[in-house]
Amino acid sequence: MPAREITFGQALNEAHIAEMERDPKVIVFGENVSSQWREATRGLKEKFGRERVRDAPITETAFIGAGVGAAIAGYRPVVELMLVDFGLVAMDQILNQFAKTTYMTGGAVSVPMTLRVLNGAGTSSGATHSESLHGLFAHMPGLKVVIPSNPYDAKGLLISSIRDPNPKIFMEHRLLYPIKGQVPKEPYEVPLGVANLVREGKDVTVVATSLMVQEAMGAADELKGKVSVEVLDPRTLVPLDEEAIINSIKKTGRLVVVDEDYLHFGFSGEVVAIAAEKALKSLESPPIRVATPNVPLPFNARLERELLPNKEKIIGAIRQAAA
Amino acid sequence: MSLNDAKTTDIYRVMVRIRTFENAVRRLTKEGKIPARFGLYTGQEAVAAGVSSHLRKGDQIGSTHRALGHLIAKGCNLDKLMAELMGKQTGFNHGKAGPYHTFDPSIGAIGANGVVGGSVPVTAGYALADQLEGKRKIAVSYFGEGGSNQGGVQETLNLAACWNLPIVFVCENSSPEVQRMLGHEIDYPQLSIDNVSQRAKNYAMPGYTVTGWDVEAVYKAAGRAVHRARAGNGPTLLEFKVHQLEGNLEGRLETSEKERQWDPINQLKPKIPRKVDEHIRAEEAANVQKAVDFGLKSPEPTLDQAYTCVFEEAD
Repeated sequence: MPAREITFGQALNEAHIAEMERDPKVIVFGENVSSQWREATRGLKEKFGRERVRDAPITETAFIGAGVGAAIAGYRPVVELMLVDFGLVAMDQILNQFAKTTYMTGGAVSVPMTLRVLNGAGTSSGATHSESLHGLFAHMPGLKVVIPSNPYDAKGLLISSIRDPNPKIFMEHRLLYPIKGQVPKEPYEVPLGVANLVREGKDVTVVATSLMVQEAMGAADELKGKVSVEVLDPRTLVPLDEEAIINSIKKTGRLVVVDEDYLHFGFSGEVVAIAAEKALKSLESPPIRVATPNVPLPFNARLERELLPNKEKIIGAIRQAAA
Repeated sequence: MSLNDAKTTDIYRVMVRIRTFENAVRRLTKEGKIPARFGLYTGQEAVAAGVSSHLRKGDQIGSTHRALGHLIAKGCNLDKLMAELMGKQTGFNHGKAGPYHTFDPSIGAIGANGVVGGSVPVTAGYALADQLEGKRKIAVSYFGEGGSNQGGVQETLNLAACWNLPIVFVCENSSPEVQRMLGHEIDYPQLSIDNVSQRAKNYAMPGYTVTGWDVEAVYKAAGRAVHRARAGNGPTLLEFKVHQLEGNLEGRLETSEKERQWDPINQLKPKIPRKVDEHIRAEEAANVQKAVDFGLKSPEPTLDQAYTCVFEEAD
């Protein structure tokens, strides 16, 4: 497929258009989805009409629940929540009604809805507009958690998510939106549950998610010639490509996990647990986690930077792991 | 409760203070001295100034993500407020809050809130404490027409009515003609009704819709509701129709001449003697400049403060 350079936001927009053209059951609603300010859904209302593309009032509980119901009733809603932090207003609808209904009904119904959220810090927005909560959603059974790190994956993973018959939460770091990459014009799928080996290396495995894949690549570039760094992007936390993680650890013997979510009880701990359970004998040094300490994110930009993982912290961790 | 000249001048001063402060914030944001964009209150000053003119220091307010007007009208120290917006150590919350979470408990401004509708249930809790203490204190809960739809807000209206709480709900409805969200007109309305005050009767409390750029009307309506709460007669839902002027930094920045007719400061200005007006404007400009200077020369928090206050130290 011939590709051309577009942004992460444009890639998401193309995925919406492709799936809405392909499947009339795909509908889009949420906060501000008809706004020209929202790149991922820009132009959808004009193209597909106000029946299929709807602005919702600021009522997360109501419109997420309505998405669940429409999905049970045979539609494929793509529901947009603006910031993941606002999902906390609607936790019953997300964690009970959305995530558990398929299981609770013994498979009698499916809930093929995709909940799109913005994730992530770095904009001095304070504690209720900055969080990365993928670990929270991955912790609860029944939700697939999709977390792209680049434009190509954004398009392919969103298409796969919309086609998948299960509940999905699709988490987009807002600082990825302007990032450019090669993306085919045609629709294509990136399968859920298959990690991306972003960079091959032999000394240290770095497992990173979302924006942190970009930071890890920066770290690997800077260490070129000193430490050979392998960067692995799981792309989906649920399902998780454990095999890819284990294989990489077996190859390098050293593990660094980089995640913008909080350190405690999260994705970074999960990867280290997998390493301990399934690749312990391959480990030549203790795994290292680079994640956000369990501190609500402050408004002040210097304090915020102090807490977030970044290239320098990743370089330090890789050096320590390789020592 | 009519508005005498002295009270009118006091309210006018607060409105000018809010406007002057926000104009400085707008400029500082463009210059990068305030690190984030956020919602401003420009055009709504009559509501906060008129409501707060009935409040005492011990009364509490809960606010929104468009909080500066509410905080200033309640009496927040401008220096500490500006420092907080700059993320400085000397701010009310030492740079951790910023515009969305500013709290000043010393005057009951508790506080701004980053989640739409998020402060409303909490503010009912202030009213509960006021009721339990029995000192005739009250709480005021500010929210917008968007927030009014939130389940938590509707639940709180019911709770406040069931418990007869001393609270005034103040909905500032910024969609008098068109339904807007983040500066663009939306295809489906936010509200299924024209007037949010209509919801009041569902909860058996009084509800009124009032022109929010008419200071006298705001003053009278707020006075009745505050008196009712303070007398122990329960909550009121006040809705003020407002027009945001240059209101949202993320949206449009220009205000048309037509929109100036909804500018509460322009509306009130003819009632203020010219010399008094000039004096107020000069004083408030100086107050705001002092706050800007204070903020700019204040130190940043130290990096170790990133980790403090997650939990309070036990005594």
